[in-house]
Amino acid sequence: MFRQLSERFGRPVAMAILTLLGMWLMVMVTLPQLQMIDYSFRPNLLPAQLGGPEDVWTLSNYVTLFNNEIHRAIFFKTLWSSVLVTLLTLVVSYPLAYYLAKVATPRQAALCILLLIIPFWINEILRTYSWFIILAFRGPLNEILLALGLIDRPIRFLSGDGGVMVGMVYAYILFMVFPLYNAIESLDDNQIRAARDLGAGNVRTHWRIVIPHAKPGIATGCIMTFMLAAGSYAVPALLGSPGSRWFTQIIYNWFFEGGNWNQGAAYAFLLLVLCIGFMSLVMKFFKVGLGDIAK
Amino acid sequence: MDSNVKLDEVVMRFGDFTAIERTSLEIASGEFFSFLGPSGCGKTTILNMISGFLRPSEGQVWIGGEPMAGVPVNRRPTAMIFQNLALFPLMTVFENIEFGLEVRGVDKRKRREVSERLLALVALEGSGSKLVTELSGGQKQRIAIARALAVEPRVLLLDEPLSALDLKLRQHMRAELKAIQRKTGITFIYITHDQGEALTMSDRVAVMSAGRIQQVADPMTLYRSPRTGFVASFVGENNRLEVKVIDREGERVRLDGGALGSLMGRAGDDVVLANGQAAALYIRPEHLRPLGDGDSGPRLETTIEAVHFEGAWLMLETRLEASGEKLRVQLGSELAKRAAQALEPGRQIDFGFDPEEAVVLPDDGSPMVDEATGEVLEVAPGGNAKVGGEHVPSA
Repeated sequence: MFRQLSERFGRPVAMAILTLLGMWLMVMVTLPQLQMIDYSFRPNLLPAQLGGPEDVWTLSNYVTLFNNEIHRAIFFKTLWSSVLVTLLTLVVSYPLAYYLAKVATPRQAALCILLLIIPFWINEILRTYSWFIILAFRGPLNEILLALGLIDRPIRFLSGDGGVMVGMVYAYILFMVFPLYNAIESLDDNQIRAARDLGAGNVRTHWRIVIPHAKPGIATGCIMTFMLAAGSYAVPALLGSPGSRWFTQIIYNWFFEGGNWNQGAAYAFLLLVLCIGFMSLVMKFFKVGLGDIAK
Repeated sequence: MDSNVKLDEVVMRFGDFTAIERTSLEIASGEFFSFLGPSGCGKTTILNMISGFLRPSEGQVWIGGEPMAGVPVNRRPTAMIFQNLALFPLMTVFENIEFGLEVRGVDKRKRREVSERLLALVALEGSGSKLVTELSGGQKQRIAIARALAVEPRVLLLDEPLSALDLKLRQHMRAELKAIQRKTGITFIYITHDQGEALTMSDRVAVMSAGRIQQVADPMTLYRSPRTGFVASFVGENNRLEVKVIDREGERVRLDGGALGSLMGRAGDDVVLANGQAAALYIRPEHLRPLGDGDSGPRLETTIEAVHFEGAWLMLETRLEASGEKLRVQLGSELAKRAAQALEPGRQIDFGFDPEEAVVLPDDGSPMVDEATGEVLEVAPGGNAKVGGEHVPSA
């Protein structure tokens, strides 16, 4: 990389670029992470005890999760719910992405994309609050359903995970739609036509031709959505019921309410491991490499 | 005629634009039929109407005696070979060929039998497990044919499938396509702008221009007896001389060539030529031969402007002295050798032609065809070609 850069810009500039890049990665990414990992392996001590005989490396912060049944349950619930959010988002996004990429005229596609993007000019918290209002017990959705006679009495959408699911699908839909759109868009129309011409119906054409082609896009979208969902704080905090706590809320509590950074760091690190694990699983399942996803 | 594909009063419009003027046509079972025309003439539109990707604005397509209105693409007894082949790149050769059977619920063993048989037909035994991305251009071509044949179509539709290949391979594939068509007995409908392909492979050719079929005939007739000016100038090369009809006796037509003096030609098939009518005389470059001083008959006096050596023949670009029009002359190597010393730019040379080989057609304002691209450039009022180069939506 250095040679390419120096051939293009000369040695001094190339060195400057690489030094800056290195420093940025070091100071902004690597060091804080290492610090957190270091925290996670030390007990929570008073300032006076730091460096003392009790300041040793220990796994106790990690053991906490395995001993605390409630935290463990929330950890796995977060995993499971994030998978569910990812799948839901995929199901919602695929038809939309296909429509944008292959069915819509350029004008329709542009309009549609604009409509998709405009809400994202508004802060995520506000958007989430709007769902809070829509889904409220006496909110507009219940009113409409009542007025249409579809239900007899209002539904508590916000108890349980329903509200969180809806909020997250909405919050992260673009991260699924765009990778899918890019992937489907690059499919040669004649591939679809050929499949139809050889007798394939709609479902089979998608199953055998469009989806296999869009696999890298699906993988990218799923990984991004999963990461965002698993690491989401605002949506579960606002739309979640007391019974639907997210693991990020526990981490937050350790840091800012329990004042136990070491414990929080251990939990955060476990969440990171979870996300990486999920990512590798998805990549293995879709048989795509990191290079395909970065495209 | 045992008709397999029938276009019955078919019209195709896109908005205000009429891509296909009212057309009726029957294609027989087992026929190798080509649509030949410049880009934008509507030939792909016709193919798409037969395959079902387009629904005609008016009229009806029939295949095997069944009306096709309301029958979607995936239910039609046709199979298409796309210009870019559209093989499925994520599948093996076997999976590609068997796709149509898989869709039809044929069991695995039966599918494999069929694909092995087809691989043998296209001489690619043993490459079934390869990925299509590992194949060469010619091999891909054959797999595309095998994949289309696997569904046992009544009609195979070919959309300029050879255009991506290099010249040698293209010529080889022509022979191969023709052989496969004979072996299978399936109706082939072939779309091309390459007259070489159309003439060498087809039983019959429909020449198209601006959404209209100009002539349907076997290749020999098409070449020898074009019916319209467009066909005369699009199929093969032709010199066009503007003339007036003096009188007609059977096929023989006496013509007034203006400054060129009196000329003779053969009336095109079924054309009406009134005495005194403006007409065009078409003489192919290979039908002109140099005249000696003692030779009689009509004489075209020219000056040579350029000489192109083409290997088996010489192509001369000359200018008629009397009218200033261009005249292209093709001389076989024997003739060229004999006249060698006289063939230099600036030299004067006289040409004659057999009136039997020169076709007279009414002056229908035949379109100018760009010699390099085969594209229609312009047409005088009253003709039916639109001002050139426009692109017809083909999807």
